[in-house]
Amino acid sequence: MTSVWRRQLRRISPFLFILPGALLFGTVILLACVETVYISFHDWDGMGAMRWIGFGNYAELIADPQFYVSLKNNLIWLALFMLAPPLGLALALLVNQQIAGMRIVKSLFFMPLVLASVTVGLVFGWVYDPNFGLLALIVQAFGGEPPALLSDENTVTYAIVLAGLWPQVAFCMVLFLAGLNNLSSDLIGAGRVDGARGLAMFRHVVLPQLTQVSFIALAVSVIGALRSFDMIAVMTAGGPFGSSTVLAYQMYEQSIFSYRFGYGAAIATVLFVIMAAFITWYLLMMNRMERRG
Amino acid sequence: MYPRPIPEESPRARLFYMAGVALVLLLWLLPLCAVMLTSIKSTEEIMAGAYWTWPQRFSLIDNYTAVFTQTAMARFFLNSLIITVPSVILVLILSTLTGFVLARYRFPGNWLVFALFVGGNFLPAQIMMIPVRDLMVSLGLYDTFWALIIFHTAFQTGFATLFMRNFISALPDELFQAARAEGASPAQTLIHVVAPLMRPALAALAILTFTFVWNDYFWAVVLTQSDTVKPVTAGLNNLRGEWTSAWNIVAAATIVVAIPPVTMFFLMQRHFIAGLTMGAVKG
Amino acid sequence: MAHVELANVDKYYGHYHALRGIDLSVDKGEFIVMVGPSGCGKSTTLKTIAGLESISSGRIVINGRDVTREEPGDRGIAMVFQSYALYPHMTVAENMGFGLRMQKRPKAEIDQAVLRAAEILRLTDQLDKRPKALSGGQRQRVAIGRAITRSPEVFLFDEPLSNLDAALRTQMRVELSTLHERLGSTMIYVTHDQVEAMTMASRIVVFNKGIVEQVGAPLELYANPVNLFVAGFLGAPRMNFVSVRLGRIVDGTAEVAVDGGPTFQVPVVADLPTMPPGATLTLGIRPENIVLRPASAGTVPATIRLVEQLGRETILYVDAGLLKASSSESGTANLTVQTAEPRPLHTGEAIHLSLPENALFLFAPDGRRISRARPVFS
Repeated sequence: MTSVWRRQLRRISPFLFILPGALLFGTVILLACVETVYISFHDWDGMGAMRWIGFGNYAELIADPQFYVSLKNNLIWLALFMLAPPLGLALALLVNQQIAGMRIVKSLFFMPLVLASVTVGLVFGWVYDPNFGLLALIVQAFGGEPPALLSDENTVTYAIVLAGLWPQVAFCMVLFLAGLNNLSSDLIGAGRVDGARGLAMFRHVVLPQLTQVSFIALAVSVIGALRSFDMIAVMTAGGPFGSSTVLAYQMYEQSIFSYRFGYGAAIATVLFVIMAAFITWYLLMMNRMERRG
Repeated sequence: MYPRPIPEESPRARLFYMAGVALVLLLWLLPLCAVMLTSIKSTEEIMAGAYWTWPQRFSLIDNYTAVFTQTAMARFFLNSLIITVPSVILVLILSTLTGFVLARYRFPGNWLVFALFVGGNFLPAQIMMIPVRDLMVSLGLYDTFWALIIFHTAFQTGFATLFMRNFISALPDELFQAARAEGASPAQTLIHVVAPLMRPALAALAILTFTFVWNDYFWAVVLTQSDTVKPVTAGLNNLRGEWTSAWNIVAAATIVVAIPPVTMFFLMQRHFIAGLTMGAVKG
Repeated sequence: MAHVELANVDKYYGHYHALRGIDLSVDKGEFIVMVGPSGCGKSTTLKTIAGLESISSGRIVINGRDVTREEPGDRGIAMVFQSYALYPHMTVAENMGFGLRMQKRPKAEIDQAVLRAAEILRLTDQLDKRPKALSGGQRQRVAIGRAITRSPEVFLFDEPLSNLDAALRTQMRVELSTLHERLGSTMIYVTHDQVEAMTMASRIVVFNKGIVEQVGAPLELYANPVNLFVAGFLGAPRMNFVSVRLGRIVDGTAEVAVDGGPTFQVPVVADLPTMPPGATLTLGIRPENIVLRPASAGTVPATIRLVEQLGRETILYVDAGLLKASSSESGTANLTVQTAEPRPLHTGEAIHLSLPENALFLFAPDGRRISRARPVFS
């Protein structure tokens, strides 16, 4: 009898183990995403009753110039964040030496990664300040007029992205350092014996071994770019005149400040679709890589 | 080793290299150094607009004492701890369970469940903002510690499950067969075999989760309002609005916010890096 | 009554039929060795006995109890794994006592069982060490000790010696045999090493493609393999196979001929399959039974292609043009000869071989042996 009971317990225990995590993640994260899509078909102020308006929010979105500003800024984030992997690789190559003291040097390079984005935003807000910022100081030293990057519609997004790149480059650097440590020393040796050096060595022997790490660095950079919110909130709150908003920020603003939760949900849904397409691609690639070994 | 190691017998090359690295590092950390410098300057100097000169009088103790006595930062700091520590513990427990099952049991839909955890974890959290906020309001948890603890636990469980599943998958199969042949139940296997072997992974995951949760700003402003619950990141941004001209105090507060994750990072650097790269590289 | 019994066991992995109706019955105290090429189902069979793999149909009985649906821990078995599978975070003593701890036995009993096993395996000084601090042979002994502590009905071994170096393997082989004698327990052992099979087994089970080809005592299998597969699998160097044509069968003796070459008289079994005269059969002879002779009637001329000096004996790979091997493995050489010829032999040298008729095996076109069984010691 006890044996039968034990066998039953053994059969259901995996199910019991996975239940709490799956339930929590399923309701709070996954279900919420679906709910966002549902809410996007409604007119809702966040408190009262929801009113079904079909594609009304989306129709409004297509006609909203602010939506295109956000979309364009998201693209700028995405494009510039593609610089993070190569820059991270460059830094990794620079510091990948076994010399006394390099360990601490590496840690110092990693530091931006562990800073809160609020901190990064504040720090760069300082750097960009046209009256006393570091940038102003440098430009003045060369006799120039200090630019007000954050209050200029044409430069503001680039300035924020640059701040966002700081921790992102550090992240890519960590990944590439791990990748460099996993290089097959036999292959490098074989390359040297075969007379490969300089760029040829890097292109034909080193880079092919970093394919997987590069893929991951690229993926985390795309995700990082689409997640951008904190820095915008802290540095400009979307300004001046909404010129630095991205989809995530516009959604936040519309919902929390304008009480237009249905409209906000529609913006979130657009972001969701973009992200879902990317994640599907990523998971397929990951699965294929795992199969290939 | 790539690039080729700089030869030990050439002190000149070494010196040249180290100088180059030091220069790049200085440029890299210049913004942070600036903030540190500001945080030890006296209020008079800041008022006089001398931001970038070497401090005439070091006000390190004054400024940092002010952060804790004259501002609400001490309260925010405590709030952050109250939110972060339980979240980390809950994430570790839940993800060990989910990771173990996903790594060791073949069942239909295994890959789908795993993909949902991973996929959900990659979504920009902003997508869930409206329903999550609504959920917390209707549960009566809005503007309480629980709202943040529950959300962070749920969200981080996605990444942590990916992490744990990969780690447990890498353990040798025969170890689990041996445990089973000796009559250990799944729970006993988890407690006596898996858990002890996972100590390094748990350490890595703990500090990663700690950093992620501590540094969160978005959910802090979405799910909390009052100073009694607000974590340190949201508090810092408020502080900046209130103490507009006292840059030295704001700078000191900025450093204070950064201290816990940076300290954790330096104390457990190996685990942090291993965790970050394992979570990402293997995923 | 059989101590371990497998009745008509089938196992599918999806559409792949891994085990095809395995029937096996093991007596108490036997040392059964399961051999076969990789993927033949020997390890799978062991794991189904352990309960680590479920079966698709059939029945498994241990000590008179149907355990088909039981958990590994309830079957009264203990298993020793190829990689030893020691828990790296536990000491030797903790590793050995783990199974009893899982059964929540009293501590004193666990300690006593561990100590007894440690004494048998000479591990008393290592009890507080972690597996990492032990040598390969010691780890292997801990894995065995872990099995002993549980005092199981049946010991299961999954290629336990394959990670050890040659010298240690020989030593452990002796230790395992001694252990079997001392404990008198039933042991089922999987290996791909035929030396282990021949030296340790009370009976060998030969697997191939998910079925049991033959079960029997080592020398019985060596002397009387039931078919071509078993004949070719046991014995190193491998048995030689030559294509021959069937002539007449008179008084239980078949006359077979090599095309354009010598003829041989082979005694055959009574229940022969129907074979037309002129059918192609396979003639088998073990390398050690071929004899070097001066040229005479009935000998076969051959050229040496490769010489392997092993010291006490010599292996020759020869090209005996007339004898067409049914499968050739080394270029033009088609016959392997093992000889203790005292004079030096050289590549390219012409020699003459004699194939003694009392050492010949004959196999029907379906692979079945049709030459008459021989007494094991002849």
